Amino acid sequence: MTEIVMDQTPPILQGPSDKERKYDRQLRLWAASGQAALESANILLVNSGAGTVGVETLKNLILPGIGRFVIHDNALVDEADLGVNFFLDDSCYGKPRAQCLASLLGELNPEVDGDWSPKTKNDTLGSLLKKSPLFTAIMYTYPINHVELESLEQYSKEHKTPLIAIHSTGFYSYFTIRLPGTFPIVDTHPDETATTDLRLLSPWPELVEFAKTMTKDIDSLDNFEHGHLPYVVILLHYLDKWKATHNGTYPSTYKEKTEFRQLVRDAARTDNPEGGEENFDEAAAAVLKTVAPFSLPSGLKEVFEYEHKGPIQERSTFWIIADAVKAFYTNHGSLPLPGNVPDMKAQSKVYVQLQNIYKAKARKDAAEVLQTAQAIAGTGRKVDPAEVDLFCKNAAFVKLINVEGGGDTAPLGSKERLQQVLRQEMANDQVAEMTLQPMSLFPTYLALRGLAHCGNASSDKTQIVEAVKSLLSDNLSSEEYGDLNEKLGNVAEDLARAEYGELHNISALTGGMVAQEMIKIITKQYIPIDNTCVFDGIRSRTQVFHV
Amino acid sequence: MDPTMGNPMVPMTAQIPGPVAQPIPLPVLTRDSYNSQSLGRSLNANVKQARVLMVGAGGIGCELLKNLVLTGFGEVHVVDLDTIDLSNLNRQFLFRHEHIKKSKALVAKEAAQKFNPAVKIVAHHANIKDAQFNIEWFSSFRIVFNALDNLEARRHVNKMCLAADVPLIESGTTGFNGQVQVIKKGVTACYDCAPKETPKSFPVCTIRSTPSQPIHCIVWGKSYLLNEIFGASEDESAFDHTVDGDNAQEIEELKRESAALRKIRNSVGTEEFAQMLFEKVFKTDIERLRSMEDMWKTRKPPEPLNYKELLEKAKSLDKEKVLKDAQKVWSLEENLVVFNDSLERLSKRVLESKSAGEESIITFDKDDEDTLDFVAASANIRSAVFGIDRKSKFDIKQMAGNIIPAIATTNAIVAGLCVLEAFKVLKGHYEQAKEVFLTPFANARMLASDKSREPNPDCPVCGVYQTRAYVDLEKATLNDLVEHLIKTNLGYGEKDFAISNEVGILYDPDETDNLEKKLSELGIKSDSFLTITDEDDEEPFVNVVIAIQEAKEPLGDKPVKGILDPEDVKIPLKPKKQPQPEPVATPTAATNGASTSNGQNGGVINLDGDEPMTTPAKTLKRGHPEDAEGPSVKKIKANDKAADDDIVFIEDSAGAIVIDDD
Repeated sequence: MTEIVMDQTPPILQGPSDKERKYDRQLRLWAASGQAALESANILLVNSGAGTVGVETLKNLILPGIGRFVIHDNALVDEADLGVNFFLDDSCYGKPRAQCLASLLGELNPEVDGDWSPKTKNDTLGSLLKKSPLFTAIMYTYPINHVELESLEQYSKEHKTPLIAIHSTGFYSYFTIRLPGTFPIVDTHPDETATTDLRLLSPWPELVEFAKTMTKDIDSLDNFEHGHLPYVVILLHYLDKWKATHNGTYPSTYKEKTEFRQLVRDAARTDNPEGGEENFDEAAAAVLKTVAPFSLPSGLKEVFEYEHKGPIQERSTFWIIADAVKAFYTNHGSLPLPGNVPDMKAQSKVYVQLQNIYKAKARKDAAEVLQTAQAIAGTGRKVDPAEVDLFCKNAAFVKLINVEGGGDTAPLGSKERLQQVLRQEMANDQVAEMTLQPMSLFPTYLALRGLAHCGNASSDKTQIVEAVKSLLSDNLSSEEYGDLNEKLGNVAEDLARAEYGELHNISALTGGMVAQEMIKIITKQYIPIDNTCVFDGIRSRTQVFHV
Repeated sequence: MDPTMGNPMVPMTAQIPGPVAQPIPLPVLTRDSYNSQSLGRSLNANVKQARVLMVGAGGIGCELLKNLVLTGFGEVHVVDLDTIDLSNLNRQFLFRHEHIKKSKALVAKEAAQKFNPAVKIVAHHANIKDAQFNIEWFSSFRIVFNALDNLEARRHVNKMCLAADVPLIESGTTGFNGQVQVIKKGVTACYDCAPKETPKSFPVCTIRSTPSQPIHCIVWGKSYLLNEIFGASEDESAFDHTVDGDNAQEIEELKRESAALRKIRNSVGTEEFAQMLFEKVFKTDIERLRSMEDMWKTRKPPEPLNYKELLEKAKSLDKEKVLKDAQKVWSLEENLVVFNDSLERLSKRVLESKSAGEESIITFDKDDEDTLDFVAASANIRSAVFGIDRKSKFDIKQMAGNIIPAIATTNAIVAGLCVLEAFKVLKGHYEQAKEVFLTPFANARMLASDKSREPNPDCPVCGVYQTRAYVDLEKATLNDLVEHLIKTNLGYGEKDFAISNEVGILYDPDETDNLEKKLSELGIKSDSFLTITDEDDEEPFVNVVIAIQEAKEPLGDKPVKGILDPEDVKIPLKPKKQPQPEPVATPTAATNGASTSNGQNGGVINLDGDEPMTTPAKTLKRGHPEDAEGPSVKKIKANDKAADDDIVFIEDSAGAIVIDDD
């Protein structure tokens, strides 16, 4: 039996083998292409407050090998830092925190460049942003001051830089990912079994021919040959037979499919020494999954229907290829064939032939898409065939994140958006009490926002709640928001007690989550959180909000 | 939150944002401020007093040790047998390049200690299964954390914690997946309450005679060829030659084949060695196989190879260039180049240790390039012989080494969750303890937590009555145990019962030969476990597990003494068998199911890995290995030394090889 020989992972890591060995366990998750993206990433951390969560996040990015990091932190190391921050030791006391952190974090991975700021009185975050090489992503931790936050937001807008806000206080934390516009992901890493696309209901001539030749005298085949017909061929043969007795239609309802499955089962020979045939078992088992008409996956539908704001020249090649795939879909009523064939009982030679038929079709489809894409892009732009191949292979699983506009939802980051989500969450909570579902963590998120809004470590519970109200709107109607006041108050009390203090453990955990999402964004692989994740350490729970 | 958390607030000086760091007024904060504020005084004090054990200082271990130290746990013991490898450095952040080959436990202690001098860290570079780590030692800890990488050690710690009645926080990760669970005797499910997925297994004949997939050839290269030529010679005992009607003749042949191969072993280092070995395994043996016509009626027969012809074709190849490309699938000729080269490197090592007067035993290690090259090339050449697809070295490494992806981020999340569960354990709030899964492919959330499962009454490990007995190992016989403990103290009276240990049955009403033997003669020592199975049909006791403890002081007239007075021994009866409709999915599987609807894989965690968590099998259909009624899985091991070996055989499937993780 043979394995799939499609090229799954693009470019090969050419580095010294030591590096490959060091990163071996992660290369198996994001391959050489993901690693290359990480290694060219330049990350800025604007650190403040107790300063642990940002550092823990950075640690988890330095270990897998980002290219460069910069820490901007205005604080000097104090005694509490030593208790909560692992990357500061006694000798750091009284020194600039950024400097100490950069040096101790840098030790984690000699292949990563590190820098820090401010080094002189005149250094500001603004001047750092101006003189630094372009940042791939920026993260900041609360409580950041307004001036610095504004300069980050300005930078993010100007350079289309993802901006990640992180807030960890006491037992609670959240992080928000602000992406510059709609963020498409092609390499979503779907489950391998989900990617099988055999086109049994719309076979192309070469496949039909192949199956026909093999099954021409199916009944006179000897037991060895009969027992080694690949299940794809078996299904194509009996689908044809089915069509002949069902007015030319394929089995479509569940009942028809189970009838068809029985037809396949009954066709297996049982008078052989094994008393059955493995390939027919495989065929019967594959019926429900593979005998299904094509329907456009929702993720791709969203891509096809996406309304662009800017002119085509400003769009990334993703959108050009997407247009080409859409044209392919319009013409053929199907997507480009991914081309992989699952392992199945067959003679090796036959299996390889079958693989080649699928691969040839996949190559042909991809070539057509490439041609269309190149035409759309025009002569001034070159479309990368490898990017087209990847898109065609993953077309059914392409996903958009941070989709802007659409429907009647308020813009992300707006006050109206907060209100919308709050109303929805409070309404859910009323049902949740009856269905024993856990309560929404939205009040936790709001209270943390409120605390940050106060910008003062000695804020008390009332001040935090008042701050939340001003974030939402001036008058909160109790009808709409139910017992929000009480819920906010509970969290706010815990937060006030923590006084902007971080628990190392909560920050370490949050740092793990944030870094994981940042790796997804930097490598453009796997689907990141969209866009805010709240963690409640008392209940060991998370919840994701789109705010 | 804990209502006792109120405490006088220590005002924190606000960070004054400004262009330059301002010297902050004299710190009023101490190292402990944040912890004390948020944990509350009572819990914080509890944490400071707690003496905890962490088993494993790898991916989760490094993170966990840092968290424990900064959370202020008073005393942390770290046990790890392993040494540091280059491939650890992408996540095990307490280690640096210069630490490679040093003890994980010792380096981790050194690195973590300086960040909180107040915490006492004790490192043990040792196997957790060593006799020094006995029940008494386990019971000296407030909490045990498992940060392990294999099923066997996990099971051992689980058993020891149950015997010592110490809460255990069990954790594991695989790629983006991870899981944490709290195990408390009698309160929550133990590690073995849900049967674990059994590792993939292959019948011996598939590996040796009729491979059909790349993995079969890889297993052959790793577990047979490498072992026979460079491994420990007693490895022969590792092959289960269970004979049944069908394969008797073939098994005999295979034995002869192995013996012949071992003779070639003596030629290691000679010039002809590579050719001798090649022609033996890729020509002579294949020709013999080919001659067995029955075998190839429904299979494609293998094609023997000609060494000289192939060598001629491979002449022009650049060895260095071939070796560098681990991601390419090598051609047959390229594989020969690697085969010869790795053989030379391995032979050189053998000769070197021989000339130093040492025994030369090389075992497979996925991070030992020489062994990996040899296994990759041999496997691929064998694949060519059998018309099977070849694989790249990169892929073979994963398959042979059972490599499971492992990254810093997942470990950070899981270690953080472990400490949160530890807080609940310290407060005694087991009802709040959660079983938490990472759900990386469910985009609506990153974690799923579930109430801890209840103990499974049929669990062969925790569904038993546990007790201890003090024994004078110099004197006590099995009969002493029967008469002075089981029948009297434990109240079995005239019941029929059996006594067994991990080897097998020591006593039952029909098997009384051992009664007069001393326990020491039966291999029973301090911290041995004996299981008493009540054989009465009606109202039988649950199984009783006796942990044997060596008596420290004279026991008086009888050489065996229970820990309780007879009237305090209350052995529950076996739960009545409920008519079981269909084997039900375990609660864990149900949790995973909930998240699968949200994305592929959901929270399902695969077997094995860096700190792999073993997935409970989907149903209870399969008997538990330790369950007397289930199929008995036994390590065929001649001695304890082989405990690190990676081959296990399942008796009931006529000679199957099981590849365990390392």
